[in-house]
Amino acid sequence: MNNQYALIDLSYIDLAIGLLLMILTAGFSRLKDLGMGRDLVLSSIRTFIQLIAVGFLLKFIFNSNNPYFIALVIVIMLGVSIITVTGRIDKRTKELPYIVGLSMFAGTGLSVFILTQLLLNISPWYEPYYLIPIAGMILGNSLTGATLAVERIDSEIKSRSAEIEAYLALGATSGQAGSSCIKSALKASMIPTINSMMVVGIVSLPGMMTGQILSGTSPLTAVKYQIIIMYMIALSVGVTSLILTNLRFKRYFTPYHQLREDAL
Amino acid sequence: MADTDNVKIELRGIKKVRDSREVLRGIDLKFYDTKKYIIVGPSGVGKSTLLRLINRMDEPTSGSILYMVTDIRDIPVLELRRKVGIVFQVPVVFEGSVKDNLIVPYLLEKSGITPDDSELKCYLEQSGLEPDILGRKASRLSVGEKQRLNLARALVCSPEVLLLDEPTSALDPQNARRLIESVKELNRELGLTLIMVTHQREHAELLGGDLITLSEGLVKTVRRQ
Repeated sequence: MNNQYALIDLSYIDLAIGLLLMILTAGFSRLKDLGMGRDLVLSSIRTFIQLIAVGFLLKFIFNSNNPYFIALVIVIMLGVSIITVTGRIDKRTKELPYIVGLSMFAGTGLSVFILTQLLLNISPWYEPYYLIPIAGMILGNSLTGATLAVERIDSEIKSRSAEIEAYLALGATSGQAGSSCIKSALKASMIPTINSMMVVGIVSLPGMMTGQILSGTSPLTAVKYQIIIMYMIALSVGVTSLILTNLRFKRYFTPYHQLREDAL
Repeated sequence: MADTDNVKIELRGIKKVRDSREVLRGIDLKFYDTKKYIIVGPSGVGKSTLLRLINRMDEPTSGSILYMVTDIRDIPVLELRRKVGIVFQVPVVFEGSVKDNLIVPYLLEKSGITPDDSELKCYLEQSGLEPDILGRKASRLSVGEKQRLNLARALVCSPEVLLLDEPTSALDPQNARRLIESVKELNRELGLTLIMVTHQREHAELLGGDLITLSEGLVKTVRRQ
């Protein structure tokens, strides 16, 4: 029975109908020789299987109510994020996973702590219905910021090495010589977050807000959550990028304010 | 021959290995106060590397460098770089005006001192630039003017030694000669010790000074002026 304010559940038959429509679309692609049929079928099946698996996993995790287990899930999410960011960077140095991990832990940890413990006052602290989705959203958005921060600082220092050495030759410290590179990297890392904050509600309705509304939450409550989560994402991206750019910057200089040619 | 008291910079047993190749294989040299030196040699012999070691833009693999009898490792590196200025092969100008470029050394020192325009114009004149270009955008200068701006900027630090790493290689012959003349004048007026790397013999002759020839990572000859 459908209630106006309760989430309408979908049956597996409903999902199967959706998958069938995807297969028909793939057939149309084959008919028109678009060359996308195989990928469309494959991605549709993967979506089905992966999300169903995640759904069962999350159900198991939420029911476990074990703080260590939930903390382990967060650690695994952080680990996967570190691997993802590291994998996107051209210059993969030995220390890169550690500085990415440290920065993301600090940035995400701060935001999650503020939101769950200071603003929402969630008790127990590991309440999975809040902790896991919030941590996941903040981590997921920090990934892009972290990647952009590292990529930009690497490319800035390489392209501006002559300028940096000109500053060093005049008696600048490495921090003074490279300050504009750090600024540029920080700006670049924040662009996607700022862009999405600029258009939210006008060009796009965010997934979290949509999901909450669909589940019967009042739109006003849903938007409050969306606002605060976006602020926390911006905070996380900012803190992560600040720490990461400064740590990455250090590898390019010796303690004697010399630009390391082998690092370029 | 100047006595030991006038030794400004001394290199003792300097070796430098780069990418498993021994670029410098044991350099022993003395540079005396107020004198001019030209370092020549084929490409890749280590001339620029040698200059970069003197103001500690790079570290030798072994050996020591003394500045006024003190090992440069015992001198704060930022202080050393202000005393030993360098003009690079390719001129670099910073964002902003000519004035913005010249005041960089003051801003880096955070001394709170703001030079007035008349002082800055002196540095421009010493480098052979027109004093009225202070307000001009640095990026709009010609290559020759940019190189002179690099020279003027180095002079703002009041160096005692000036290293010049192929300063004329990006310049046309006329501008190259003018730059060398300006540098000669600085040596005469300010008593700057000059060490210039060049692969152009005519510029070496124009500057004058002791000619040091490097070959295969070693000092081959030193021809005193």
